[in-house]
Amino acid sequence: MRVVIVGAGMAAARLADGLRGHDVTLLGDEAHAPYNRILLSAVLEGTHDVASLALRLGEHVDLRLDTRVVEIHREEREIELADRSRLPYDALVLATGSIPTLPPIRGLVRVDGRLDDRVHAFRTLDDCRRLDAAVPGARRAVVVGGGLLGLQVARALGVRGLEVEVVEGGEHLLRSQVDGNAGAILARSLTRLGTTVYTGARATRLTAVGLVLDNGYVLETDLVVLTAGGRPSTSLARRAGLEVRRGIVVDDTLTTSDPRIHAVGDCAQHGDRVTGFVPPAWEQAGVLARVLDGEPAVYDGSRSVARLRATGLDVAVLGDPLEAEGEVVEVSNPVVGSHRRLVVRDGVVVAATLVGDLSRIGLITQYFDRGTVLAPAEPGALLLPDRPPLPHVLAADAEVCACAGVNAGDIRRCSSLAEVRAATRATTGCGGCADTVRQLLAQRTTPTLEGSTA
Amino acid sequence: MTDTHCPYCSLQCGMSLERAGRALEVRPWAEFPVNQGALCRKGWSAAGLRGHRERLTSPLVRDRATGELRSASWDEALDLVGARLRELRDESGPDTVAVFGGGGLTNEKAYQLGKLARVALGTSQVDYNGRWCMSSAASAGNQAFGVDRGLPFPLEDVEQTDVLVLVGSNLVETMPPAARHLDRLRERGGRVVVIDPRRTPTADRADLFLQPVPGTDLPLALGVLHLLDAAGAVDEEYAAARTVGLDEVRRSVAAWWPERVERVSGVPASELRELADLMAGAERVMVLTARGAEQHAQGTATVLAWVNVALALGMCGRPFAGYGCLTGQGNGQGGREHGQKSDQLPGYRMIDDPAARAHVAGVWGVDPDSLPGPGRSAYELLDALGTDGGARALLVFGSNIVVSAPNATHVAARLADLDLLVVADLVMSETAALADVVLPVTQWAEETGTMTNLEGRVILRQQAVSAPDGVRSDLEVIAELAARVGSPVPFATDPEQVFAELARASAGGRADYAGITYDRIRAEHGVFWPCPDADHPGTPRLFADSFAHADGRARFVAVDHRGPAEPTDEAFPIHLTTGRVLAQYQSGAQTRRVRDLPDTGPFVELHPMLAARIGARDGELVVVATRRGELKAPARVVTTIRPDTVFVPFHWVGANRLTNDALDPSSRMPEFKVCAALVTAVSRLVASAPRTSTPASLVEVRAQRASDPTEAGLIS
Repeated sequence: MRVVIVGAGMAAARLADGLRGHDVTLLGDEAHAPYNRILLSAVLEGTHDVASLALRLGEHVDLRLDTRVVEIHREEREIELADRSRLPYDALVLATGSIPTLPPIRGLVRVDGRLDDRVHAFRTLDDCRRLDAAVPGARRAVVVGGGLLGLQVARALGVRGLEVEVVEGGEHLLRSQVDGNAGAILARSLTRLGTTVYTGARATRLTAVGLVLDNGYVLETDLVVLTAGGRPSTSLARRAGLEVRRGIVVDDTLTTSDPRIHAVGDCAQHGDRVTGFVPPAWEQAGVLARVLDGEPAVYDGSRSVARLRATGLDVAVLGDPLEAEGEVVEVSNPVVGSHRRLVVRDGVVVAATLVGDLSRIGLITQYFDRGTVLAPAEPGALLLPDRPPLPHVLAADAEVCACAGVNAGDIRRCSSLAEVRAATRATTGCGGCADTVRQLLAQRTTPTLEGSTA
Repeated sequence: MTDTHCPYCSLQCGMSLERAGRALEVRPWAEFPVNQGALCRKGWSAAGLRGHRERLTSPLVRDRATGELRSASWDEALDLVGARLRELRDESGPDTVAVFGGGGLTNEKAYQLGKLARVALGTSQVDYNGRWCMSSAASAGNQAFGVDRGLPFPLEDVEQTDVLVLVGSNLVETMPPAARHLDRLRERGGRVVVIDPRRTPTADRADLFLQPVPGTDLPLALGVLHLLDAAGAVDEEYAAARTVGLDEVRRSVAAWWPERVERVSGVPASELRELADLMAGAERVMVLTARGAEQHAQGTATVLAWVNVALALGMCGRPFAGYGCLTGQGNGQGGREHGQKSDQLPGYRMIDDPAARAHVAGVWGVDPDSLPGPGRSAYELLDALGTDGGARALLVFGSNIVVSAPNATHVAARLADLDLLVVADLVMSETAALADVVLPVTQWAEETGTMTNLEGRVILRQQAVSAPDGVRSDLEVIAELAARVGSPVPFATDPEQVFAELARASAGGRADYAGITYDRIRAEHGVFWPCPDADHPGTPRLFADSFAHADGRARFVAVDHRGPAEPTDEAFPIHLTTGRVLAQYQSGAQTRRVRDLPDTGPFVELHPMLAARIGARDGELVVVATRRGELKAPARVVTTIRPDTVFVPFHWVGANRLTNDALDPSSRMPEFKVCAALVTAVSRLVASAPRTSTPASLVEVRAQRASDPTEAGLIS
């Protein structure tokens, strides 16, 4: 089957690699082969090397870069490229991603229509390289947008040694994901890491002095990074007459209103949801690969996990804790900067916010993803620390040496290590009990412990 | 005093046997370097089957009238078997007879068993329980290095590495004396990392412990390599000079950033970073896998993923570093090298290679065209028994199939459909009890033969006592059967003579034993293969200069994670994994009968949170159910296991009625280590109390917290 994928971002690359056995064409408008976009902030921070971002594409994929699609001819089942050439398809996949929205700040764009030199977007590899190159000459940076990407960029720049300020128009950080309590704790943690946070403040103007906020502050800065999100790129679909609302409308098989055309990733709308994250986009790509292989597969869109990747900030958001209905179990500890909230419905963790303490994330995510039905006390127990083991005196029948099957009483009956070895063979296997045996032998001189039990 | 080796695991600890009247005593053999005199209780009590009342000392034949087994003379039993095998073969061709061997058999027995199948019976249907042991590591080793030797270095090299990563190995309990090497490593300042769904006694000795969901060692490896590559820790020079395939692997791990691995594996991204940092900063890194990583439908891919990590760091072939597999069974290594594997001939030659066939047929004195081609793998062979195209007769040596096969109820049903089941064993194992003919054979201290330990060191098991009357050696039994089915060539029965023939057959093969003799093994504390001639010193360390592929380079092989064949779901929400306990070995046919070893019976290890959820207290009976069967056993409530996972030891009937028979596409390894289960307390089944699932309330958390002053937090 000839599959043409429009876009060469994360979802597109994932889908293309999963379509082995098909004849796949991948059309990207960037100059770079597919790369792992979500690690760009890690490149900026310096933990990842750019070369390590390249994603795998099989031999079956015909990758065309710097290629723009201008039209879909649905009747002919062809697409038209910017150079007027046409490509036929059996299945067409729109993975056109999103278009960054430019916040309404005067002075971002110069009179010649280009961005002010201090202003950076942070969406593509080129954006990342340009910002990276600007860091050494800069002392201060303002990040506009307190969402996941904004916080990651803020931390990256902070780790690089810049003085960083974050401006968030909403009342708190991560306002699409978490509630005010979590946002406040996060802001405090960020402040502790040296980053100033302005919430409920809008940037209105960029002047020669700096970024002017609506609360009157003027933030002197060398760099302004825009991370304020985007909207689904739908113009191609709209022109082709496909059903488009906020995004390109798809059903559970990621199929649009034309059965031969599909959409995945940021440009697609499933139910009333448009996602802006990679995990659901990759889940969609996986499902669509199976659908195109003729397998029964559906995307139910229910489970997403958003993770902040930033040194010193631990955040995980499971599902939609702001909207999910259920009973709430919450443990908040502003003193140490942790806030954890589980939304539980019929025993199932349907959403969660974990800020500042991810010690149980490995288990909570598993329960969330698998829909495990928990007992009433469990969600609470998940948020409590493990109890420290109590110190105790070994009972006479407590096994000390598993290799030889020797208990504490047997050891206490011996007077020396040599006797222990000869009489019980303890310590002659893996050697792990040697310390315990020595302690037990030493304790023999303390009559109060002799034969006592815990 | 007779120097020999323990009858059980692949460590093959050296020990000395001393006769004290009628009794046989185990003494340390301090000079043998692998264990230096240390033994676990299995080794110390190994003589416990000597003179045991359950030893079989007479052939048994199932009486047609009563359906019971009765004593028979050797001639009667062997004649009966020979006649039935000939009849069946005449009726429906040579593949109607199948042979099933074991990874505990000596090299000589394994070799003769393969020859019995290929030459005397002419059947392609021969395989062995080693498929269920380390076959995934074998398959990965062949793909990556061009050769499969468990450890490419002596075990004591562990002490000299800087970071040791144990993936799915609980060696402190499964091969206790090996743990001494860990301790010496740590005394030197080296670090130990353990990856296991259970915090085992091995994990207790680790500097870093990662506790993944069963079946996710593969994405962990992908995530580690992702971080190593991101940090620029890949040894580019080594990769360019000694390997091929790095680029594709590199691009494939770009998709496995730590937070994605965290979601799949249940291991926090921070712990993955700790592991990668540890590995990136070390001069010498050693990665060892064992059954926990290998016994999966993606076992080969899992091992390859970890091999990729070791190769990327430039470790393989470097002193005190690299990748290795901790083989499980006593002769797991040698057992797969000499022809009882369905696709192989002696010397690790492939049966579909014309040159290999010609060489081995030459040693055997038969026409190469008379040798059958590749047959079915162990589980597939059993699955086909009694069906169209499957075998109708099965000869079993050194394996207790109905306890150790996955989906064991199904396998027992297949055995029941056989026309003839013959089992050679020393005790009435659960499989022998189903047989039409049972042949009593020698054990360990009563016989001589070579084993090849986990290091690829060929060692000598030496006879210390004579066998009980009525018992014959496996070699004698195989020779008698060969004669009775009209073998074109005679079969030797003297182990040293068989070994000399094996050495010739292996000459020029990948596992070349041509220069090894019993005398050399005695003189040198074992000889490492390959050892092509008498003057060759053997090869303790492989890969120093080149790998075994024709171009001398190792292969990076790109792999991706598919996940367990049977994911958990609403009906079966808990992961089940299986494994061993210290005091028992394999199917327990031997160790369960040794008086000095505690025979606890199976148990179900589960976390207090899960125990509370299902209403089970420590020691109370629970039922573990999977799509294939059920097991009722006492709960053992421990905080050391993941709360989403239960563990059942496999030494008793039951565990493998639960396990999944999904196979690895390359190694044909069944997925013993993970399947989906439902765990229920028997008390609740009886009461059939309706299950309520009231969500936790804030009040409840407050109440719990009030009783726990250690948390400094507040509830908002």
